[in-house]
Amino acid sequence: MKPTIGEKTFQAFNYLFLIVAAATMLMPLLHLLAMSFSSPIAADSKEVFLWPVEFTTGAWTHVLQNAGLWRSFGITVYITVVGTALSMLFSILTAYPLSRKEFLIRKYVMFAIVLTMIFNAPMIPFFLTVRELGMMNSLWALIIPGLIGTFNLVIIRTFFMGLPKELDDSARIDGCNDFRILFQIYLPLSKAVMATVSLFYAVGYWNTFQRAVLFIRDQDLYPLQMKLRSYLVSPEELAAVNMFLGDYDFNTTTLKAATIIFATVPIILVYPYLQKYFVKGALLGSLKE
Amino acid sequence: MAELSADRTSGSGTKETDRSERPAPRKPGNRYVENVRKHWMLYVMILPGILFYIIFKYIPLAGSVIAFQNFQIFNGIFGSPWVGLDNFKFIFTYDDFYNVLRNTALIALYQLVFGFPAPIILALLFNEVRLMLAKRTLQSLFYLPHFLSWVVVGGVVFELLSNQGFVNAIREWFGYGPILYMQESRFFRTIVVISAIWKEVGWGTIIYLAAISSIDPSQYEAAVVDGANKWKQVIYITLPALFPTILILFLLNIGNFLELGFDQMFNLLTPMTYSVGDIIETYVYRAGVLQGQYSVTTAIGVFQSVIGFTLLWIFNRLARKSEQGLW
Amino acid sequence: MKKFVHKRAMLLMMSGLLLAAGCSGNSGGGSGTSGGEGGETEGLTKIQVFKSHMGVGSIPDSSNPHVQYVAEHTGVEYELITPPPGSEPAEYINMMIASDDLPDIMRPIGGVEQTLIQQGGALPLDDLLPEHAPNVWNSIPEEAWDIVRSSSEDGKIYYVPKVFLIPERSPLIRQDWVEAVGHDMPETVDDYVELLKAFRDEDPNGNGKADELPTTGREFGRWMDHLFAIYGVAMWEGYPEWDVYDGEIQYAGITENMRAAIEFMRMLYEEKLLDNETFLNKGDVWQAKINNNLVGSWYHMPANVRDRLAAMRTQAPDAYIAAMPLPQAEGYEGFVTVKSMGEPEWMIPKAAEANAIASLKLLDFFYNPEHDEFGRYGIEGMHYEMGENGRKVILPPEDSRPLRLGMRNLTTAEDMELRIEETFPEEDWQMVKDMYEVVEQDAKRIAGDGLPASVYQGFPDIQSHKLFQETMTRIIIGERPIEAFDDYVAQWKASGGDTVTERVQEWYEKVK
Repeated sequence: MKPTIGEKTFQAFNYLFLIVAAATMLMPLLHLLAMSFSSPIAADSKEVFLWPVEFTTGAWTHVLQNAGLWRSFGITVYITVVGTALSMLFSILTAYPLSRKEFLIRKYVMFAIVLTMIFNAPMIPFFLTVRELGMMNSLWALIIPGLIGTFNLVIIRTFFMGLPKELDDSARIDGCNDFRILFQIYLPLSKAVMATVSLFYAVGYWNTFQRAVLFIRDQDLYPLQMKLRSYLVSPEELAAVNMFLGDYDFNTTTLKAATIIFATVPIILVYPYLQKYFVKGALLGSLKE
Repeated sequence: MAELSADRTSGSGTKETDRSERPAPRKPGNRYVENVRKHWMLYVMILPGILFYIIFKYIPLAGSVIAFQNFQIFNGIFGSPWVGLDNFKFIFTYDDFYNVLRNTALIALYQLVFGFPAPIILALLFNEVRLMLAKRTLQSLFYLPHFLSWVVVGGVVFELLSNQGFVNAIREWFGYGPILYMQESRFFRTIVVISAIWKEVGWGTIIYLAAISSIDPSQYEAAVVDGANKWKQVIYITLPALFPTILILFLLNIGNFLELGFDQMFNLLTPMTYSVGDIIETYVYRAGVLQGQYSVTTAIGVFQSVIGFTLLWIFNRLARKSEQGLW
Repeated sequence: MKKFVHKRAMLLMMSGLLLAAGCSGNSGGGSGTSGGEGGETEGLTKIQVFKSHMGVGSIPDSSNPHVQYVAEHTGVEYELITPPPGSEPAEYINMMIASDDLPDIMRPIGGVEQTLIQQGGALPLDDLLPEHAPNVWNSIPEEAWDIVRSSSEDGKIYYVPKVFLIPERSPLIRQDWVEAVGHDMPETVDDYVELLKAFRDEDPNGNGKADELPTTGREFGRWMDHLFAIYGVAMWEGYPEWDVYDGEIQYAGITENMRAAIEFMRMLYEEKLLDNETFLNKGDVWQAKINNNLVGSWYHMPANVRDRLAAMRTQAPDAYIAAMPLPQAEGYEGFVTVKSMGEPEWMIPKAAEANAIASLKLLDFFYNPEHDEFGRYGIEGMHYEMGENGRKVILPPEDSRPLRLGMRNLTTAEDMELRIEETFPEEDWQMVKDMYEVVEQDAKRIAGDGLPASVYQGFPDIQSHKLFQETMTRIIIGERPIEAFDDYVAQWKASGGDTVTERVQEWYEKVK
């Protein structure tokens, strides 16, 4: 069937709208990129838009030579990888029983879990709890207390509930137990949702900041976002002490721009990679296998 | 559907839950024991999850009792005096409380009405892009702003709406004088909603795209054979297929209705727009973080949660009438 | 290994306790503690020092030369604790208190000193200071100690105050612009307005565009104190302060003077003499406007103009900044607000009493004039470099450069002179020194200097100046009539202002 004129017009407008909107979303990052390659005076004087003014690699040389930043980068990669893996494992394990009708207490458990989304623990008791568990100054404090995200848990559970019942009926006849149903039948069918939820977890871990502020004192364990924030806080209060004479080809403004790019681009690159799991009919394809 | 309704009545303790696997009715008291024995694997699976929620959610949650104390950080929960409902009285008699509450509720409502459907619409638009490369590239660009902090985005918004900014340049081009949008209260909520949509819409789309990807393509093929145009396909196939996801996300949202996110407001608010933009979070920041009044802020939190819970309860009941609810 | 860190810290603290106990035993036997400078290093005491707002940099460990230098001279090894970058320091410190994890000596912020004093967590220093920190005790004026005493119920000294004996901020003006438009330094408000009009209309930056912003400030009405100062309003970076009006100490935000100042600014705003975006200027935007030769008159710290000048001179090689003497407003006595003493700088938690003597010794090191230069520059190669003509050049702060502890917060005129000579190129010395000379004439220490934050307890909106800021900004931009000010005054009083005023007046009775 050939597309009608109406459909063609729609297509044109759709492209136009999406491209223009996407351009606005790209611009802030391009601007930061341009800033990071500009001279400090030009950057502080707001002369830079999307192209560097008085081009210099000063800020980047500085950022890329900064051992502390690379270490934080490593920490962040570590908690992102380990955290996402653990979170996925435990979320799946928790979601599965909650999606089963024969799990008699699931309504109560579900209710209790959803409740924690609404009633948030005050910060001090939360802090004291984690501290009592001996996680102070340990990377586990950045992973374990956020192991299961209720939002993600609900997403997985909802998806499991939507899977055709015939699937596990036949599995049961084959003598599969719940572990096998989960790992050998459900998971292969859930690639798209698993990719989505992994992305949510990974981005969450990558952006870990609040918990790090609370629990990490040893700066060798600072994740990337903490380093990043040191450039984002207004330096005004420090202005009086913050004096130096030499002529440098970078300053806090350009360093900030370079650091934001450095800390953001790696995680941004994850999504395009995951997109292959979003192909239409992913579910059906695996059913047919 | 039938399964779900059977499940709902199981709470009464009189009916059997499992249709197929129970050979004979047992005494109601034994039901749980029997269930554990029969499906012990499920219980083993969920054990770590339950422990997690107890340790990291419920135990700290018990600390909410400081809402009924005059909590002194130095003396701790056990050393602080109890004050009953004083903190709640303090909140409800606070001069500006109703203004703050109104601002919060209004902005939350706008976010819900405009912000919630935005990613759904965007997902549908993406779905109409046929060039795979264009589609993926556009998606990837749309989710970029999610990674910028509100400090950065706030700066962009101020810049865009400044005297020399983009919007006023357009006005000038048409021969109009500049408007300082950020200091006029009538524009403030619109700016809040639009900037939030701009920042998060691409991110919010991901989950719908995942849901769309699991729609069986043969449904569309069949529809095309029946002569359904694109629009009809969206209405009769895509949207119904997305509906469970939409419903669940709506329920997850509604529970945190009054929580708007401090960072955005903090970075967009000026004293000129306090009257329309001072919300619960910004007040909590002034009173709690800066003044250390943890009891008051916890009391506010409890209040927010109670509202959120009530809303969720209502909508969850409604949801269960048509589809499944959260519990 | 990481998870044992906190255990190790406990051990350290325990050993610190033992050592400190040994030390105080010594001093009982004949003030032996300060005698061992550089000598017997076997008994190093570790002291945890909490200080916030340290900026970008890494935390020095015990092998850091700065730490070691201090340890050699005091027998005290400092361990710097600072809130991680980007966190809310007040919240961080509250969390430390809540978890009984207090440092040995700390720089309180956000009124936390009052929390500790009132809840019995602060150590009185009256007896310890003269004996164990003589340099601190003697270099801080008695007046400042009196203010400190006034801030606690029992009249004891619970903290070491910050002392800044010269005005820190000043109205600044582009001298080259004044000359370019052929005016003199304004003497009256009318002169000033005429000058601003000339700035607006006569293209002093010479770029052919009418893009000049005669005067500007920042969001929340910050950094525009010069406009308030003309009318005798006690103002500190945009926050109204407490001073004597009509014979009684009052919140400057509700005075007749404030009303007049707001009315004046409303006129300036309408005439576009005051940057119409003034209340939308975030720090970086404000700075960019000044750097780009768009602003004629503003308010900031003279010691800080160096980088701005450098930026201005890329476009305007003759840029010259001067301090502006306050123009005379009829019927008002203008002044530049000075807060010079009484803000809490260092305190010792009661829980750290055992280490108090070592903490004070550390503090005293920095107040010892002999260590002045070390305090300013730190370690060569790490914190400063030798520049041309043998001057020490402080290296820019960066993420991987170790922070260094400084504890002295006492600035005298001589300190400032040294600082100017150390941080400015020689040809600019006179310019900056002149600024201080000028502002000195208008400076006045306000009556509310050193007021403890506890007077605001229970009234967060009074403390945060929310009502004031809302009213002030909306009247100035012309959204509300000036009469709205009177409603605001009534509302301010009713919503807790009266109670706070009473508390302040009680406090003032004690200090004056």
